[in-house]
Amino acid sequence: MQLVALGRAPPSPSRNSLHGLDWFVFFLADAQVGFGPLIAVYLTAEKWTQGDIGLVLTIGGLVALIGQMPGGALVDAARSERVVAAFAVIALAASAFMFAAWPVFAVVLAAKVLHSAASCILGPAIGAISLGLVGHAALGNRFGRNARFASLGAGFAALGMGTIGYLVSNRAVFFVTVALCVPTLLALRMIRAGEVDAERAHGGRAAPHKGHPEEPLWSLAHNRPLMIFAGGLMLFHLANAAMLPLTASVVTMRSSDSAAPLVAACILVPQVVVAALAPWVGRQSVRLGRRPLLLLGFGALSVRGALLALVSSPYTLVAVQVLDGISATVLAVLVPLIIADVTRGTGHFNLAQGAVGSAVGIGASLSPMIAGYTTDQYGSAVAFFGLAALATIGFVSVLLLMPETGKGPSGPVTEVLRKGATS
Amino acid sequence: MFQLIDTKKTAIEGRMNCFVRTVAIIWTVLFALPETSACAAGWRLSQAAAQAAQDTPHQDAQHQDTQVPAATATEQQAQPAQQTPPVSARKDASHENTEDGTPATVIDDRDAEGILGKNVYSAANEDMGRVVDVIVKRTGEVRAAVIDFGGFLGVGSRTIAVDWSALRFPTSGPMDHIILELTRDQVRLAPEYKPGEPLVVLGLGDVQPHPETPAPEH
Repeated sequence: MQLVALGRAPPSPSRNSLHGLDWFVFFLADAQVGFGPLIAVYLTAEKWTQGDIGLVLTIGGLVALIGQMPGGALVDAARSERVVAAFAVIALAASAFMFAAWPVFAVVLAAKVLHSAASCILGPAIGAISLGLVGHAALGNRFGRNARFASLGAGFAALGMGTIGYLVSNRAVFFVTVALCVPTLLALRMIRAGEVDAERAHGGRAAPHKGHPEEPLWSLAHNRPLMIFAGGLMLFHLANAAMLPLTASVVTMRSSDSAAPLVAACILVPQVVVAALAPWVGRQSVRLGRRPLLLLGFGALSVRGALLALVSSPYTLVAVQVLDGISATVLAVLVPLIIADVTRGTGHFNLAQGAVGSAVGIGASLSPMIAGYTTDQYGSAVAFFGLAALATIGFVSVLLLMPETGKGPSGPVTEVLRKGATS
Repeated sequence: MFQLIDTKKTAIEGRMNCFVRTVAIIWTVLFALPETSACAAGWRLSQAAAQAAQDTPHQDAQHQDTQVPAATATEQQAQPAQQTPPVSARKDASHENTEDGTPATVIDDRDAEGILGKNVYSAANEDMGRVVDVIVKRTGEVRAAVIDFGGFLGVGSRTIAVDWSALRFPTSGPMDHIILELTRDQVRLAPEYKPGEPLVVLGLGDVQPHPETPAPEH
């Protein structure tokens, strides 16, 4: 497979395509902000009971979890990643419109499910388009760029939509989300179809399987580094997902007059750090390898958990969020990168992204339950320590089990390709 | 050469196969959903019906307030909106109801409105969040409002139960501006409201006995 890769012309994406991908990632992150915790606020204002809101969010979360692997498989099977992504963006716009126009139970539930399904496709699609455009050799830098634009998009959107929600209405936020899908599609159009190599986007050509469609799943399950990585990430998100909401809740409790700006800062500080650091992490992932950076990400998370348990001033809590930025940067760049490493030549890059996405989803949805229970029983300090302990277990398992995937037996090939790409 | 084409064909077939299966899965998810939502909606309706059934005695009492003097909207206006009807009035209500069918009262929509999702402000006009639930005791007495307080974009907010008598409703204009007679400093430190656990109601409490507590039962 690597010989085949050598025989092919090295990828030479045009500036237009690369900028198109930048803006696609940026606007997509913009559009996704409206679907976050804001939904609960909006539905509350629409006289929804808390039970109904919880039910819709839970069903949406379950669909997002179950849809990960089919979403990845769909992207793997697609001949044009752009077309699949375009349909998913249109679904996203439709979902936002349904939220805004008819906030009644059946429609909102359908909209939430549509959004979850679209997200299951869009996540792998970004990775696939990136890989199809630039190839494995330049992927670290590319994912660094993606992470920068995604967090810039999310940061701007959080500020902008917070303001719109405050000054106009929460409903307006969903109309803005519909509008944001237009530049997203335009950016997608800028990416030239011919430059996204479908085979490269899938991580090689899939080995023909003899009428057993479940074979790819078995091959993933036997991919030891991938399984270790997925397990580590599950631990990471088990520790990470509840940390920001818990921090924000503590800030709300501790600060009387400036709670809202401080919570906003808790959300924005990590985005700024990601935007600043991501390209550097992308470069270092090629120079230093993946393992040291991955350990940095897990380490930052455990230190953050411990500090949050010890610190009491709300301003210091915001400062600790810089560590959130560091681990978020590392994860944003390295997760798709390592998956691309370990599925190289299998043709199942996107299915693997879906599988890892499921693991992340399980961790992230269990996290608030654990943190919530611990907070109720023993207080937030113990909860923070518990989350930090989970992160430390993740750190140790990466340290002991996770191999370096960036410089393996495929090293020399990578070198040749890199020279090819730069010349 | 033929070999190559052959494998390619199988690969494409494999992909198609995979694709078809994926589409089938997504199809099931999308189409199973309307049914799920229909079920859920049905469940919701039945819940709403149950809720309505529970609400009825309370509503009766509310009518009665206006019914006894004269069933006009203007009379209703004269009554302070936040005053909860005395429990004893409800007894008379049920008696009168049996006499002449089900009474109905027209209340001007400017004088009464649903409270769920309304914004709450402090006396100093600080944002205190939104009403997300109302707590009613077995006696029918409205005891507390649950507000969703603080946070940004829905992150970090806390749900807190506040005494019903600490709420002041606007006497004119839209009902969107409910005043809570507590400060942010008092509310932020309160323990969170959790359904299924003993309720901590934040409010004027012991300092100022609220009018509806000593309602005689018989």
